[in-house]
Amino acid sequence: MTADPFQTASDVLSEAGGRIDELARPFVRFLPVSGASISTFGSLLGAETISATDARAGRVDELQLDLGEGPCWDALITRAPVLEPDFASSETWPAFSDGIREENIAAIFAFPLMFGPLEIGAVDLYSSTPMQLTDLQQKQSMALSAIVSRILLRHAVSGGEPGETTTFSRRLIHQATGMVLAQLGTKADDAYLIIQARAFADNRPMRDVAEDIIERRIRFGTLRETGEETP
Amino acid sequence: MIETTRTEALFDAFTTLADTLVAGYDVLELLQSLVEYCHDLLDVDSAGILLANPDGDLEVVASTSEANALVEIMQLDADAGPCLESFRARAVVSVPDIGVDSERWPDFTSTARTRGIHSVYAIPLRLRRSTIGTLDLMRNERGEIDPFDVRAAQALADVATIGILQERTIRDASTIRDQLQQALSTRIIIEQATGVVAETEKLSMDEAFACIRGHARARQTPLSMVARQLVSGEIRL
Repeated sequence: MTADPFQTASDVLSEAGGRIDELARPFVRFLPVSGASISTFGSLLGAETISATDARAGRVDELQLDLGEGPCWDALITRAPVLEPDFASSETWPAFSDGIREENIAAIFAFPLMFGPLEIGAVDLYSSTPMQLTDLQQKQSMALSAIVSRILLRHAVSGGEPGETTTFSRRLIHQATGMVLAQLGTKADDAYLIIQARAFADNRPMRDVAEDIIERRIRFGTLRETGEETP
Repeated sequence: MIETTRTEALFDAFTTLADTLVAGYDVLELLQSLVEYCHDLLDVDSAGILLANPDGDLEVVASTSEANALVEIMQLDADAGPCLESFRARAVVSVPDIGVDSERWPDFTSTARTRGIHSVYAIPLRLRRSTIGTLDLMRNERGEIDPFDVRAAQALADVATIGILQERTIRDASTIRDQLQQALSTRIIIEQATGVVAETEKLSMDEAFACIRGHARARQTPLSMVARQLVSGEIRL
């Protein structure tokens, strides 16, 4: 088996750990695109460019965040990839196209970052020459986006959690984690992250959310649309 | 007469435990058996074992009921109560009536009393210079605990301590700290597994835990392994 570029990118991402500013790089390593950028925005997290492989990628991102329009917004709203292989002749985003004209961008692709029902942000990929992404490349990009979503979510929520995690509350949280993993058919880590994110989104202590789960006042449905299909 | 039967039962318990220690065992399984022996053989209504985590805080690792209400009381005890005192002083702490000096440990006392608990005995788990946790015995009645029970409980506590420390020598390289850490992290998997079963079988946490324990016993599989398999989805009860 020769090293599969996608697998390599996936491994690099998974190991990125705390270096969230390096999250965009693996995308340009395995796809024939010129640059990549990753930003958080939407209902949960503040609008911010997290990682960009080059200045132009950063500009692509920043402009969309400033204007509130562009492929990354559409990707997150529709929870699906937005593919623009011929960006030069596209009229979908007049303000964004206008603002980015000098950057000479030929193709642009945006993938949503989400985790279950939560909105995280988007990945933007651009190319200076017209190009298409194959079906496989799209699926692989979605898979990498799912990894990025987890890393960003974990990063965002790990700072929060104000005090109040006693030994007893942790016990409740572990029991709730078990219930959520059974509800969703996920792994324990993801179930824990879902509880953590729910607490973060509702601005409540994890213990309270865990108690609601144990008392069956909160139930999680299926974890769909996480871009989780194996490429 | 009754006394003789009880001594015999206790003797049987020690024999069973000794066999377990020789055969190789799961630490949490052993601790769970110990609290159940305390409950069955001694005049106590609930019992628990608390171990110190690497930060030096006591955590409940086994209790006669997994109902969160009881565990919470023991945890309050661990944070500020007879258990913590016993652990720090490395001595038995006997509180025949927790209502007498209710200001001493206000959170623990008020919560325990609402659950009908009136007297508490905390016995340190120690071997030579190491104190690794406490055995917590609770009664719904006020009054001194029977001296026979104190001695029996101390002997059971010693078995628990030796059990934990001995497993350390089996694994050789690991320190006591690693050993305790291992028991505490296994506890996390057991909580998760309890949650899984509570969800899939529509049970309370207490019932779910009993169900897992029963399954492990029936198949003679370590509790921690059953828990791991439940969490990973390899088995369903």
